[in-house]
Amino acid sequence: MPLPRPHITVENLSIGWGAQVLMVHVSFQVERGTIFTILGGSGCGKSSLLRFLIGLEQPPTGRIDIDGVGEPHRYEGVPPFGVLFQSGALFSSMTLAENLALPLTTWTPIRGAIARELIQAKLDLVGLGPFAEHLPAEISGGMKKRAGIARALMLEPDLLFFDEPSAGLDPISAVELDRLVLTLSRDLGITIVIVTHELPSIFLVADHCIVLDKAAKGIVARGDPRQLRDASEIPFVHNFFARSLPGASANQGG
Amino acid sequence: MSVAVRVNREGDHASLVPAGTFDLAHMTAVARAVQETETRLSGCVSVDVDLAQLDRIDGAGAVLIASFLNRLDADGGHTRIVEGDNLKAARLIALYRERRADHAVPQTHSKSRLARLGGLAAQLPRKANEALDFSGRCAVALPKTAAFPGSVDWCSLPRLIQEIGADALPITSAASLLVGIIIGFLGVSQLGRFGAVAYVPELVVVAHFRELGPLVTAIVVAGRSGAGLASEIATMKVSEEIDALRSMGLDPVRWLVVPRCLALALTVPLLTWVGDVLGLVGGLGATAVITHITTRAYIQATMNAITAEHFLAGFVKTPFLGLAIGLIACGQGLLARGGSAAVGTRTTTAVVLGIFSVIVISSMFTFFFALIGI
Repeated sequence: MPLPRPHITVENLSIGWGAQVLMVHVSFQVERGTIFTILGGSGCGKSSLLRFLIGLEQPPTGRIDIDGVGEPHRYEGVPPFGVLFQSGALFSSMTLAENLALPLTTWTPIRGAIARELIQAKLDLVGLGPFAEHLPAEISGGMKKRAGIARALMLEPDLLFFDEPSAGLDPISAVELDRLVLTLSRDLGITIVIVTHELPSIFLVADHCIVLDKAAKGIVARGDPRQLRDASEIPFVHNFFARSLPGASANQGG
Repeated sequence: MSVAVRVNREGDHASLVPAGTFDLAHMTAVARAVQETETRLSGCVSVDVDLAQLDRIDGAGAVLIASFLNRLDADGGHTRIVEGDNLKAARLIALYRERRADHAVPQTHSKSRLARLGGLAAQLPRKANEALDFSGRCAVALPKTAAFPGSVDWCSLPRLIQEIGADALPITSAASLLVGIIIGFLGVSQLGRFGAVAYVPELVVVAHFRELGPLVTAIVVAGRSGAGLASEIATMKVSEEIDALRSMGLDPVRWLVVPRCLALALTVPLLTWVGDVLGLVGGLGATAVITHITTRAYIQATMNAITAEHFLAGFVKTPFLGLAIGLIACGQGLLARGGSAAVGTRTTTAVVLGIFSVIVISSMFTFFFALIGI
């Protein structure tokens, strides 16, 4: 029996802005139905990598292939994946229900009672049922992110990209959001790619991760984050997971 | 793939077998099939749903099945899911059933015209209060600025003068030149009927220096710089930069509004002065092209017509026009609340109010000068 195709394949990707090179010859695969996290310190190019994965930028070298979509920057038609941006990126002039209705009315002929039913079900799914008629300015940061997830789910994608979903949230909201991510993956079978550096969130949800390093301009480790935390001998990865400063472990050991 | 729900009914028990593709792309067919099934189930107290024939289901299909089953339960029926080997479908439907919040779906009510009119009228006292509050804060800011000069961002003044003044020069000059040409053409066509073409230079001087020069310059500045200032400050407000200033002990009125208003009060007179010169050039061009008046004679007549009275009658109001544009733009910016939509609304209001106030102030000066006989 042939192995199932990976959901996302990245081969020899090199990216940068102008003269600044962020990463060179990066290759990885994301398996279908898993939660995949992209880790790394601030400024290592995590969010830039995400922009390439969702097709906002064209890779200068290398190739990104999404199963059933092809190269994301060339894709046209019904968006094949949902994206949650760091701030939620809700349209501030629209209510939550109108925000969720936008992809539905743009890409499907569904209107009226059925559309309202679908929108309400998605808001209920993320726990925002009573807030359908609220404007984004009237709800909290965590609620905005959940509303962003509901909007990303409107077209029933089998792939979701989250940029820093739990950044800036209180611990309870962050755990609620992580549970929602787990539900989406386990119950809906969605492949989820998360860019983050929130360690509790990583250990709770991630099946697989890659660790990016600014100095190495690429991936320095890959695998199960819990195993990397316990067994990695790479100093950057060790310091990243142990939340210690470079050289601290050597000093402690010596 | 067709969408259907097969119903096997035995008395008050029914067995449902949904078959086909229950996904977003087939939503209309799914909704129709569910609705038809619902009408055939009246009187049933026990309903089994066999998921074995479902080829594909996504969240949208699960939502319709889940709400259908919830309605049956609410009517006192007993529903049961027969998973078969379709575990994913069962989990999806269960997820949407358990997450269904118990609240009425809010309906949006479109307001009648009368209600909207009433709503607008009800907002007037609040808007008047906001305007008065801002005016009061500006009035308090002036003596405090004099007492604590360090509380004003003087370093931004040269940049603001550059952006509001020098960068606006081409557009205000072009507008004044064209208005000069228009007055020239109008003067020739109307005064020419009475053989009074020789008075065209004086008409251009009086009309441009006293009224149209300051007005045209101020309207262009209100549209250009007023919009820029209002959107800049409104964006700062919605992104909490204004709150950050206040948290650092800086008064946003003194730190932001004073230098911007000062920059406008300084640059609008200068822009008007350049515009006046170009207005005269426009009048000269128009007259020279369509009449026999020579350039030399036109310039001579213009020089005779220019008096300190005409020049000052227009020039004296320009700092007030600049000040009004600045106060309105900054005030609207500081009143922004909410997200990016508020930035757009406040910018539009700032431009509309700015242009209107410029016309009102200009006409007030004209009435005053007419009363005192200048």
